[in-house]
Amino acid sequence: MSATAAPPACSAHSSDFEHHPLQAVFAPRSIAVCGVTPTPGTVPFDIFYNILSSGYRGTVYPVAPGKRSICAVKAYRYVLDIEDEVDQAVIVFPSSVVERALRQCGEKGVKSVIVISAGFREVGPEGVRREQRLKDVCREFGMSMIGPNCLGVINTDPKVQLNASFARKMPANGRIGFLSQSGALCTAVLDYAQEKQIGFSKFVSFGNKAGVTEIELFDYLHQDPETDIILLYLEELRDGRGLIEMARRVTRGDNPKPILAIKSGRTPQGADAAGSHTGSLAGEDSVCDAVFREAGIIRVNSIEQLFNSAIMYAYQPMPAGDRLAIVTNAGGPGVMATDAAVRVGLSIPRFTKETTARLKAALPETANVKNPVDVIGDARADRYGAAVEAVLEDPNVDQALVILTPQSMTDIESIAEGVCRLHATATKPIACSFMGAADVGVGIKLLQDAHIPHYILPEWACEAMADVQSVRKWRQQPIGPPTPLPVDRAAVESILDGAGEGYLGEEQALAVVGAYGLPVPPCKLCNTADEAVAAAERFGYPAVLRVVSPQIVHKSEVHGLELNLRDADAVRTAFERMWRRVGQIMPEAQITGLLVRPMIPSGHEVILGGKRDPSFGPTVMFGLGGIYVELFKDVTFGLAPLDQYTAAHMVRQVKAFRLLEGARGGAASDIDAIQECLIRVGQLIGDFDRILELDVNPLIAGPASEGNMVADVRIRLAANE
Amino acid sequence: MERAEVEQRVNKVVCHVLNVTEDMITPESHFVFDLGAESTQSVELVAAFEAEFDIEMDDEAALSVDTVGGAVDFIAQYV
Repeated sequence: MSATAAPPACSAHSSDFEHHPLQAVFAPRSIAVCGVTPTPGTVPFDIFYNILSSGYRGTVYPVAPGKRSICAVKAYRYVLDIEDEVDQAVIVFPSSVVERALRQCGEKGVKSVIVISAGFREVGPEGVRREQRLKDVCREFGMSMIGPNCLGVINTDPKVQLNASFARKMPANGRIGFLSQSGALCTAVLDYAQEKQIGFSKFVSFGNKAGVTEIELFDYLHQDPETDIILLYLEELRDGRGLIEMARRVTRGDNPKPILAIKSGRTPQGADAAGSHTGSLAGEDSVCDAVFREAGIIRVNSIEQLFNSAIMYAYQPMPAGDRLAIVTNAGGPGVMATDAAVRVGLSIPRFTKETTARLKAALPETANVKNPVDVIGDARADRYGAAVEAVLEDPNVDQALVILTPQSMTDIESIAEGVCRLHATATKPIACSFMGAADVGVGIKLLQDAHIPHYILPEWACEAMADVQSVRKWRQQPIGPPTPLPVDRAAVESILDGAGEGYLGEEQALAVVGAYGLPVPPCKLCNTADEAVAAAERFGYPAVLRVVSPQIVHKSEVHGLELNLRDADAVRTAFERMWRRVGQIMPEAQITGLLVRPMIPSGHEVILGGKRDPSFGPTVMFGLGGIYVELFKDVTFGLAPLDQYTAAHMVRQVKAFRLLEGARGGAASDIDAIQECLIRVGQLIGDFDRILELDVNPLIAGPASEGNMVADVRIRLAANE
Repeated sequence: MERAEVEQRVNKVVCHVLNVTEDMITPESHFVFDLGAESTQSVELVAAFEAEFDIEMDDEAALSVDTVGGAVDFIAQYV
C-alpha cells in the first residue's frame, strides 16, 4: 500500500496562484521521501513519519533501498520504481548520494525537491562543488529545489496539511508566512509560537538556498491568499537588487503584505581590509540596512520583536496614524510607556473636550484624565471599560494601549473580558500589557484567545506599534527611478581611460568629481616654487599646498600638507620645505608634484562615499566626515543611483544632521545642496564600473550663503581592461 | 585467496548486515543508495568484514569505500 488519504491536494485559490511554480513545493499531490530509514529518532525516519502523521492530504511513498516497508507503507528501492506520478521528492540521503537521487527524481519527472541533507557549501570547497552539481541537475530537469541543508517545508492549509520537515510538531494554522535560512532557529520559533498561540500559513527553512531563494518565496507568499504577513530570518543576502525589486512589489501596490526581517551574519567582504573610509565602514551589515530600507522590509533585532510586531499587524486593523492613547492603573508604567512611545516615534495626543468630559464622569477625582489616562490602582472592569471605550472613540486617537498591574483589588479576568468585548467592535487597534506573570496569566490567555496582541512590557507594545507605523508610512512613501542629473560624463571617461589600476592622482580625482557637478576648488599641480606662487596668485590667498605621490596616503604624517599660506613668500618657503622634508621622511616616495589650492572656508565636515559591493553593486555612504569618521561611525548607506527621497533620508539619518541644521546657534548648512552632492556621487559610481571606492572626505558644508566645497577626494580604480 | 571467494564472502556479509537478498547485489551496488545502509551500518560492515576475513583494515579508508565491488577490491589487498 501507499499512504493515501483524501483526493489530491492543491490549494488553488486563483488561477495565477494555482499555476505558481512553487505550488509543487507547498501543495504537492504526491511526495516521495528518498533515503528513509526505519530508525525512529533519525532525520530520515522522522521526516517520513511527520508527513504521514501531519494529516497530509496527498500520497506519500517511502524510498528506502533494502526495506519492504516503512511504518507499514510499502517502500520502494528507487524513486523510479514508483508506478504513479510524483510531484515532490524530499531527499534525506547522505550528501554523497544526493546527486544520484536528484538525477533519478529528474528522470521520474518530479517537479520539486526538498534537500534536507547537509554537507554542501557550508562544509567547504568540495561541498561547494557538490552543491553546484545539484543546481546543474535541477536546471537540467527544471525542478525547483529548497535547500540543501534545511529543516524542510510546512503548509498548514487544511487542504494540504503538509509537514515535510523534522520539526517536532506541526504549528497551528495562521496568517503568518515564515521563511528562515536557519533550520535550528525554525524549531525554536515553532516552540515559541506554540506557547504564544501564534499560527502560520507556510513555514519554510531554505538552508543554503541553492535553488529557491527568499526572493521567489516572497513572490509565492505575496500571491498566497492564506498569508497576510511575511517574516524572514536571513543569514546571507546575495542579490540585494533582486530583493529590493521583489520586496517592493510585495510590500506595496494592490495587495501589500509587510515583510519583517532579522538579518544576522556578515560576509567576508565586510571584513575586507579596504583602503578608503567608505570601504572599511561599508560592511555587509551596514549595506543590508540600506537594502532593507529601500526594499520596504522592516528590520528587527530579535525573534521577540519579530513576533511582537507580526501579531500587531496580523491581528489588528491598520491604524490611520501614529497617535496612541494609553490607559493604565499605575502611574509608573504609564510614564514608561509614554517615554517608549515617544522614543519610537509614536505621538501621545491630547484628547478632545468631549473625551475628557467622559473620562471625568467615569473616573474618580484622583484619576488622570489626560493621556496617559491613569484609572488608579483600585480600578475594576467598569472603570477600565469606560476609559478604553472613551479614548478609542476620540478622533484624535488612532490606537490604544491598555496597561494593567495586578493589585489586590484588580479583577484581572473581568478587565480582560471587557477589553475583549470592546475589541470585538473596535475599528482601531488595541494592544495590552498585563504586567507580571502568574496572577495576570488568566487575563493574558483571554486576550490571546481573542487575538488581542499582548506584551509583557509596554515598551514592546510601543515598538510593535511603531513597526506597524513603518509599514503604513512605507506604503505612502513615493518611490520611483532616480532622474539623472546633467554631468560631463565624457570628461570622466577621458580621465579614467588614461589611468591605471589603483588610486587616481588628487588633481585627476578632483577633476572627476568636478565633472559630475560637485563643487571643487581650483587647483594646479606644480613642480617648482615659481609655478606654485603663480598659481596661488591666480587663485587668491590664503593658499594650501599638498604633496601628491602615489606612495603617500596620509599627507600629514609626512608633513605633506601646509595650510593658510597668506602670501607669495609663504607659498615659496612652504614649497621648498615640503619637497625637502617629504623626501627626507619617505625617500622611496615618488613625488608627482605639489598641489596648490585656495584655502577652503571652514564649515561642517561631512563624508560622501561610494563603494562597489560584490553583492549589492554600487553603494553610497553619507556621514560625519573628517578625521574622526571611522571613530564615530556616524554614517548611513544607500544603493546607487539614489533618488531624492533616499538621499534626503540618508542625510537626516545621521546624528550629525542636527549640526547641519544649525544646532546650538551654528549656521545652518545648505541641506538640499548636500543631498544633491550625494545623488551626484551615486550617479558617478553607478556610471563607472571601474570606480571601486570613492571618498569625498571632507566635503566642507558651509553656511547656506557660502555653499559647499570638496576639500579632499580619493578614488580607487579597478584595472583598465 | 581467489577474488571470486572474496566476492562471495563479501556478498554474504553485506546480505547479513544490511538485511538484503543476494539478488539485489551487483559489484556497482552502492551501500547507501542501492542497499539502504544507515550510517551506523557502515561501521558494522567494516567490523563484519574484519571478522569474516580475520584482517584489520584502516578504518578511515575502509569507511570511504561505498560500493560492493570497491569493498572486494579493498579487502583483496589484505588477504
